[in-house]
Amino acid sequence: MNDFEFEARRARLEPLFDSARSLADASTERGQRARERIAASSGLSPQGVELALQRCLESRPAESEISALIRSTPSAQVAHVLLSANVFVAAHRAIAIGLAASEHVRVRASRREPEMAELLFSGAPNSFQLVNELSPHAGDRLWAYGSDETMDEVAVTLPPGVALHAHGAGFGVAVMDGSLSESEWAELLPALAEDIALFDQRGCLSPRVLLVNAEPPFVGEVARRLALELAALEQRVPRGRLSALELSEIARYRDTAHFTGEVLEAGLGFVTLGTADRWLLPPTGRNIHVVPSSDALSALTPHRPLLTSCAFAGEPRLGQALSRAIPGARSCRFGQMQRPPFDGPVDRREL
Amino acid sequence: MTRAARSEALHRAVRRFAAGERTRSFDALAREIAEFQREFSPGFARLWASRRAPNGGADDIPGVPCDAFRMARVAIHPETEDRLRFWTSGTTSGARGMHAIRDPETYHELALAFGRSALLANRAAHQVVALAPLLDEPPSSSLGHMMALFMVDFEQRGRFDVRTPGRWLIDDRGVQIAGLEQAAARASERGETLLVLATSFALVSLLDALDGRPLPLPPSTVVMQTGGFKGKTREVAPEELRSAVARTFDIAEAQIVSEYGMTELTSQLYEATLPGSALQAEQSGEPGVYREPPWLRVVPVDPVTLDPVPTGEVGIARIVDLGNVDSAVAIQTQDRVRRVEGGIMLLGRAAGSPPRGCSLSIEEFMAGGS
Repeated sequence: MNDFEFEARRARLEPLFDSARSLADASTERGQRARERIAASSGLSPQGVELALQRCLESRPAESEISALIRSTPSAQVAHVLLSANVFVAAHRAIAIGLAASEHVRVRASRREPEMAELLFSGAPNSFQLVNELSPHAGDRLWAYGSDETMDEVAVTLPPGVALHAHGAGFGVAVMDGSLSESEWAELLPALAEDIALFDQRGCLSPRVLLVNAEPPFVGEVARRLALELAALEQRVPRGRLSALELSEIARYRDTAHFTGEVLEAGLGFVTLGTADRWLLPPTGRNIHVVPSSDALSALTPHRPLLTSCAFAGEPRLGQALSRAIPGARSCRFGQMQRPPFDGPVDRREL
Repeated sequence: MTRAARSEALHRAVRRFAAGERTRSFDALAREIAEFQREFSPGFARLWASRRAPNGGADDIPGVPCDAFRMARVAIHPETEDRLRFWTSGTTSGARGMHAIRDPETYHELALAFGRSALLANRAAHQVVALAPLLDEPPSSSLGHMMALFMVDFEQRGRFDVRTPGRWLIDDRGVQIAGLEQAAARASERGETLLVLATSFALVSLLDALDGRPLPLPPSTVVMQTGGFKGKTREVAPEELRSAVARTFDIAEAQIVSEYGMTELTSQLYEATLPGSALQAEQSGEPGVYREPPWLRVVPVDPVTLDPVPTGEVGIARIVDLGNVDSAVAIQTQDRVRRVEGGIMLLGRAAGSPPRGCSLSIEEFMAGGS
């Protein structure tokens, strides 16, 4: 890519960033309206929306990250973007990738949660088109985000010659090495609680399982402290509205966990304790399964295709080994799971 | 009394109950089994302790989620006492559930008692074939084991090797149409009733293979169909399948009897549609309405609170099966059901799925992702 092309792409992104910055600003009417609309459609509490806007909306990404995003995005005649629901800030990154790819960007918002795309569009109306249906042609590229069923449907209906960048379902894990001091691990738990609570855990980066390399009594203590942190965070940032089906899945998970291990109340959510050999994947809604694991590498390997994010704390060598073993998952520190660098799709499993 | 002695006593009590003895009510026996399980299963004890004080009836016994069978051993007895092990269908993540049976006698008595009631329209000997792959050894599928049981019992020829050619009519090439035709011919020659035991998917495969051609079977033929289409490429609505099978075999739709069973259960439910069957004689049933045996109760519960819903409302099925003496007397499924006149109507799994975007669901995780 020559400098001219790079600059052209870079210029296309700026109006989008301006739009994101203005709606993140709570002091403006636009910012206020955005908060109300997003809370109404996402089901997140107003505090949950605010937290996500402040912590996760990349309205001022670093130039190095923007450069990486532009350089890693292939160009297209037309870039089509199919957005998913649940993680409202994801619309910003997805549209940015589209703009990096083409000057012609067509975006189909989630039918259930169209607000963020509409809000971004209203602040940058000349940057991209919001459409009800995508109709890509040969030579175009489609970036699609959502459930695996949606990705399958898209793949089979796509005309020949259209490049598909599909980002389906996944989940995050956190790994805590036993080499940490008590003060160190105690500091990690509030950060992990925030990772869990953001978007009420509905995102593919959200941590659902915590591996702790320690003896079971210590693991139990970590779980209890994490439950307290989640409960305390819920006081400041209440969990939002969950659907009946989500609540049903939580009941099913809770009872399974009662049978197989230990269940700790964590505000409205749960922290469950189990064994490393068979994971119980908690449903969304601020729940996490904690397992002792003396060999995180072996424990994670079978789940590699599903892992999008891995927070690690402990011996750097183990952290590096984990990064190599699961290259599709973004490696990060505790508290950073929902804030990956703005260097391309958050889901790197396709790359 | 020791664990083993209590288990033996409960098995005897359940078999007597199934045979018609009513010295203890269903609720009392269910509760007694639950107490036994609470004492010897730490997992069930924890689940029990998480509930508010139950009122003493079977409907309040907490159901062990089916997921627990994939996550842990759900058995009161040690592995050394397993006489049968039935496995749930495989998943790519390798998380298969297992139902360990310590006392096959109870399993056999219960399965046969209600199977005879639902599937036998007369006392004549039957010719029994299965549209299923050859039973493995030892049997790992509860359905396959039950089919073998029915072959031996319903044919009234004494004990014989069920793994003989011509009985299991699915192989690597698909459904053996010729094998079914031969079984039909044998039944006609001998004046026996042909009983075809089949999964729904096998019936669809057969219809696909026939490609619209009829395959008339003897007029008294009975078809037991069971199971859904999980993981299969083609689904057919139950009423559509029933109609197509009846048309193809040239038999009445009432002769196609659906069964509902699960690896995690000891007992089965059936439609009460077969003319001449004991079940139909009690009370004629509609297609799609499943009759519980007296030793099993389906309790529709609210999917969130898990409390029983008022009669007639849709809930998810908690199944109290007295046959599950050594595993979990109450199972919590995700199947939507409604109690109606004459039984339980199955409404499939919860409609749709939680709005989850890119977050991985439990089902996807159990299935190994995409």
